[in-house]
Amino acid sequence: MATFQEFIQQNEDRDGVRCSWNLWPSSRLEATRMVVPVSCLFTPLKERPNLPPVQYEPVLCSRATCKAVLNPLCQVDFRAKIWACNFCFQRNPRGPAAPLVFLYVVDTCLEEEDLQALRESLQMSLSLLPPNALVGLITFGRMIQVHELSCEGISKSYVFRGTKELTPKQIHEMLGLMKPTTSVPQEAAASCRFLQPVHKVDLNLTDLLGELQRDPWPVPQGKRPLRSTGIALSIAVALLEGTFPNTGARMMLFTGGPPTQGPGMVVGDELKTPIRSWHDIQKDNAHHMKKAIKYHEALANRAAVNGHSIDIYACALDQTGLLEMKCLSNLTGGHIVMGDSFNTSLFKQTFQRVFSKDYNGEFRMAFGASLEVKTSRELKVSGAIGPCVSLNAKGPSVSENEMGVGGTCQWKICSLNPSTTLALYFEVVNQHNSPIPQGGRGAIQFVTQYQHSNTQRRIRVTTIARNWADAQSQIQHIEASFDQEAAAVLMARLGVFRAESEEGPDVLRWLDRQLIRLCQKFGQYNKEDPNSFRLSESLSLYPQFMFHLRRSPFLQVFNNSPDESSYYRHQFVRQDLTQSLIMIQPILYSYSFHGPPEPVLLDSSSILPDHILLMDTFFQLVIYHGETIAQWRKAGYQEMPEYENFRQLLQAPVDDAQEILQTRFPMPRYIDTEHGGSQARFLLSKVNPSQTHNNLYAWGQEAGAPILTDDVSLQVFMDHLKKLAVSSSA
Amino acid sequence: MDNFYIKPGNQERGWNDPPQFSYDMQTSSVGPKRNVLNKRVPPPQLTGQSPGTGLPLSPAVSSGPSSSPGPPPVGGLTPPPPPKSRMSPGGVTGSVSAENEPNLSDVQAPLLWALTTCRQSVKKQVCDDVERRLKLFEEMWKSGKLSLAVKCRMNRLSQELNNKRWDAADDIHRSLMVDYVNEVSQWMVGVKRLIAETRNLNPELLHTEEAPSNAEEKLHKAEEALPQTEEAAQSNS
Repeated sequence: MATFQEFIQQNEDRDGVRCSWNLWPSSRLEATRMVVPVSCLFTPLKERPNLPPVQYEPVLCSRATCKAVLNPLCQVDFRAKIWACNFCFQRNPRGPAAPLVFLYVVDTCLEEEDLQALRESLQMSLSLLPPNALVGLITFGRMIQVHELSCEGISKSYVFRGTKELTPKQIHEMLGLMKPTTSVPQEAAASCRFLQPVHKVDLNLTDLLGELQRDPWPVPQGKRPLRSTGIALSIAVALLEGTFPNTGARMMLFTGGPPTQGPGMVVGDELKTPIRSWHDIQKDNAHHMKKAIKYHEALANRAAVNGHSIDIYACALDQTGLLEMKCLSNLTGGHIVMGDSFNTSLFKQTFQRVFSKDYNGEFRMAFGASLEVKTSRELKVSGAIGPCVSLNAKGPSVSENEMGVGGTCQWKICSLNPSTTLALYFEVVNQHNSPIPQGGRGAIQFVTQYQHSNTQRRIRVTTIARNWADAQSQIQHIEASFDQEAAAVLMARLGVFRAESEEGPDVLRWLDRQLIRLCQKFGQYNKEDPNSFRLSESLSLYPQFMFHLRRSPFLQVFNNSPDESSYYRHQFVRQDLTQSLIMIQPILYSYSFHGPPEPVLLDSSSILPDHILLMDTFFQLVIYHGETIAQWRKAGYQEMPEYENFRQLLQAPVDDAQEILQTRFPMPRYIDTEHGGSQARFLLSKVNPSQTHNNLYAWGQEAGAPILTDDVSLQVFMDHLKKLAVSSSA
Repeated sequence: MDNFYIKPGNQERGWNDPPQFSYDMQTSSVGPKRNVLNKRVPPPQLTGQSPGTGLPLSPAVSSGPSSSPGPPPVGGLTPPPPPKSRMSPGGVTGSVSAENEPNLSDVQAPLLWALTTCRQSVKKQVCDDVERRLKLFEEMWKSGKLSLAVKCRMNRLSQELNNKRWDAADDIHRSLMVDYVNEVSQWMVGVKRLIAETRNLNPELLHTEEAPSNAEEKLHKAEEALPQTEEAAQSNS
């Protein structure tokens, strides 16, 4: 293990953890001076092909306030049959399954083409569900229908009005749901006519789905359909609450437009009143927003308490109210998929991938997870940011300084998969000038309990440790241990979390301040001499990440609709490190005859006439053909056998894009464009405008394509940063 | 191998809709992610290099966009091994094999055998439902509403069912639902149920009722054996 890079990679591969600092400053004062907090990204269900589950209960520390799990950092005395807990130093003596539920909640106010495509996708999904899963169907438009699933010929449904809010108790009574007299899941299943095993009702349910009709209420000219999404969701939540509390369940909402009626409505039915934009929100002109958010948050919290997750599949050309409904998925770990129509490959394939299986042929999805974090006594946990809710578990390891969802050391994630990643933030509480703790290492234990897709309950325990270091004498070592990629994502999540409640410019100012402080602390420079400023390799990419983060759709909202911003942020705060970094700073690779494909600066100087660029923003894959390449392609050289190498050059980025398209969830858009093409704007808006129409001839002619914008360039940003970092007054 | 293919997305309904991969292409790409493209380049300002050092220009590039460039350079690159199926720039590909159209009665025989066997213990209503759907499958086949790919895969599904390879048959049903839902959605659930019910039957039931094609084979072999016995008898006398 020669370098920290190798250490970082090995630890990630083994533990699924990336820490911002891999050497921890040993006092609280020094830790705050580091600017970037001691924090980590944790992927609870990271795929570990060589980690078979152990078939016995985990061995717990006997101290009631500790209960840490036996792990490799403990000292074990095999002769005396005792082990010492590394968290509390206590010496310790050496010593059934519920089905998954899938509830479809389907909007019928769709165009016929979309409804047909959705019918087919739902029918297809019945073949993809786990065979013993329970399935249910609620359809809605102006009214809501809860379908009774049976093996008999006649289909029955219970109808509710879309305007009348009902209590859970009223819903249970109207559906004839008795209080479950048994906790045995199989018996409960038999007693619920609305949620039945798919292997028993697949024949009838396939026909039922095939016969789904558009909402019959006519929509007058100039009006939107009356869509009672709010009531439909409350019935779904109540149905699951009353029949399968605390079992893994997935509500899947399929909707083709905004809620226009009843509680949770996002916009009225008059088309001349457009759905709110960011400008409307800023001017306090979004009349339904606060109420709708509150309504959905209440539903989301109820679902989360019961361990039920809610997916939203929203396909429409206009907004559907994701801003108001996003908490349903964000708090429960459910998916949000945003598309233009149900009759697109983007929706169909993304939906198929919900049911994807791993290398063992088992479903990737998992349910009902609780994550507990334990720390050695020099650390406390400040909070988590990710698709979770607090379990309000107090204790000695809970810090009073909250970051993200704090005030707890346990969180719940109702639905998750192998790429779900939480950001966790810690506080060093050791006092300044007190000696470095005995043994020299701080430790964190992550205990994740969850329901596997095969219905078995499992526990996964990850325990990590890092050395303490005295910041006065070992600052270079601490600097060398900096993981700039993890730190960028961890700071970005803090920024996005703030952006949900603070004003945009304030968040940018905070981000800038942190960056300047970090550069002041760790840069090498002569005072007041910006040109002397240098950053070591472990920090050299960090300012660029921050530059791109400031321009990203996560913090710059006015180029997108509120729904789009909500969707991008939803994806950002749950993906693993690699995907998150792609979202912050897209990857750009260049293909040409000059050599093998290589990464290039995300900068307009990388746009060259005889190069093909592949850009991955996570949400889009763009293949851009330079001017000369485009002309050659148009002339058809790739069809001629003597220009086989040109055909291969065109194929190379396509092959690399295919690798990504085959596995990514959700599926990205795929854009094939060229110099002068209208779709080229996706590339041009992302690259740093280092050459604008203001400074086109600053360094010679053929250096790249100019971009017409007044954005500040990376060059200008870096110049400002260096000036401020070296200044004694900043 | 018409199971591995890529179709274009629906550009009319979704802007920049990505291409669609067949079921087998998606399920075969399971495994640890390769992260092919994950490198970045630090900005020159921090490493001391001068900015704007673009790459050397190819001699064929002209200075103005209006004049046409010469042809691309010839030769050079060694081709990488091609994957099973690839997207083509701006379009799609698929490897289309020239499989012959299977015989409908060959495909139906194992399905009908399975249904008959199920009738002994599975609820009548379910069996009738399955039978109705198998009839619909037959009608669609005869009236030319099913594509060759669907017919070929159904042929393979039947063979797997015949050989009691339940998981393989089930997987083929799933691939048909994913790739050809609009052709098969009305009747495929019947085939799905048939596989599920047949595999759960008492094993004795499965062996007493021989599948028609197996019985025919045995008859064939018995006929072939006869002349030898006669010859032997003659030579001994």
